[in-house]
Amino acid sequence: MGALRVRHVGLATSVRDGGRTGLAHLGSGRGGAVDLDSHRLVNRLVGNHPDAATVETSGGLVVEVGRPVLVAVAGSQVDLQVEHGPPLGWGVATALPAGAVVRVGRLRDGARCYLAVRGGVDGVGWPESLDVAAEVMGLPSEAIAVPRGFDRAVRLWPGPRLDWFEPGTWDVLVGAEWTVSATSDRVGLRLVGPMLRRAVPDELPSEGVVEGAVQVPPDGQPIVMLADHPVTGGYPVVAVVDPADIGLVAQHRPGAQVTFRRAR
Amino acid sequence: MRLLPYGPRALLAEYTTLEEVIAAAAALRSAVIPGVTEIVPAARTVLVVHDGTDPARIAASLDAGSNALPPPIGTVRIPVRYDGPDLEEVAVATGLGVDEVVALHSGATYQVAFCGFLPGFAYLVGLPERLRLPRRPTPRPRVAAGSVAIADGFSGVYPSDSPGGWHLLGHTDVSLWNPECTPPGLLVPGSAVVFEIC
Repeated sequence: MGALRVRHVGLATSVRDGGRTGLAHLGSGRGGAVDLDSHRLVNRLVGNHPDAATVETSGGLVVEVGRPVLVAVAGSQVDLQVEHGPPLGWGVATALPAGAVVRVGRLRDGARCYLAVRGGVDGVGWPESLDVAAEVMGLPSEAIAVPRGFDRAVRLWPGPRLDWFEPGTWDVLVGAEWTVSATSDRVGLRLVGPMLRRAVPDELPSEGVVEGAVQVPPDGQPIVMLADHPVTGGYPVVAVVDPADIGLVAQHRPGAQVTFRRAR
Repeated sequence: MRLLPYGPRALLAEYTTLEEVIAAAAALRSAVIPGVTEIVPAARTVLVVHDGTDPARIAASLDAGSNALPPPIGTVRIPVRYDGPDLEEVAVATGLGVDEVVALHSGATYQVAFCGFLPGFAYLVGLPERLRLPRRPTPRPRVAAGSVAIADGFSGVYPSDSPGGWHLLGHTDVSLWNPECTPPGLLVPGSAVVFEIC
């Protein structure tokens, strides 16, 4: 048995590292953890390299510890239960003995949380087991993470095709309350709200797309591109989320409200 | 060249021709500007993702103003069995014989203009004028990996099984995408490509 045996995979659970940049020109996007801030934070808590692999999950994950490990969970706040071991607090590194069973339950505020294991997660045995990659590490942190607040607007910049939309579109974008659609995934956060109307009806030749780009398909409902977004797209990009706020926007779960404000 | 806003960490340069795009992407690649993390050419644009170090220098490099295809960076030879399901249709639509379609397609030298659609899918320019056809009216739900195809002004090879609307001329056993390799894609922007009958 590996360091952790997976009893229940849970929702949208996968092993993710920081992803790969520099391959967009070959058609391959970053991939990797959607909320890179939380991924890096949880790695720091256990003393890992910030890009070491972690487990990204939307809850329902149950793992049994095979040999003593140091773990931490952050990202969305989440119900955490441990049987046969000490309590595991959110956002704090905790040593668990062999035989402990960790239940990563219901998410309380965000869309996904991250489980880090000191040494980094080795996903070769996934989805049956998880091992420790035994990467070179620093010292675990005694710090306690602070939950991410959702009570602020996501910072937004004008996009390359804002002028393809009717005058006043920017004001609609930053003035409306948008609702996160249940069809959102690692590719994009789909928003429901007022229709963004095109002024230029032309077909746009596909062009490069960045993480955080706000694309508008013909239905007029914006999509914020996340970690698994295609590297090029033919829908006009009306705006782009500030790179510092991509983790924040990505943590909005289906049904949540998103508001934007102009960056800087 | 027109520079379009794309937030604090990206620039999107728009051009009037694909040749300008290819030239600008090549100029930017060879300039090796610190802080540039992605250079993504497309049909009419070059997207540059950077870390904020020197956007002015990137913008200047994007405005090199050349409209000539730069010399290719190495040649990739791809052996092809010309037995694709659309060969006859392409011959009829172009008014050519099947042999002429094969001779024209395999006789040209192509260059990777840009990648997209799938990891490792390269849009190749240099397709002979007489082979230019719009894509199929209804895409196939599944095109096999290794299918060699044409559509509009491009040729391409499907790197993995996927839906696809291009005309399929043949098949290659060459692997286009290997995540373990550096770079993982066989066809990188700027490479020359030759299809060889096998």
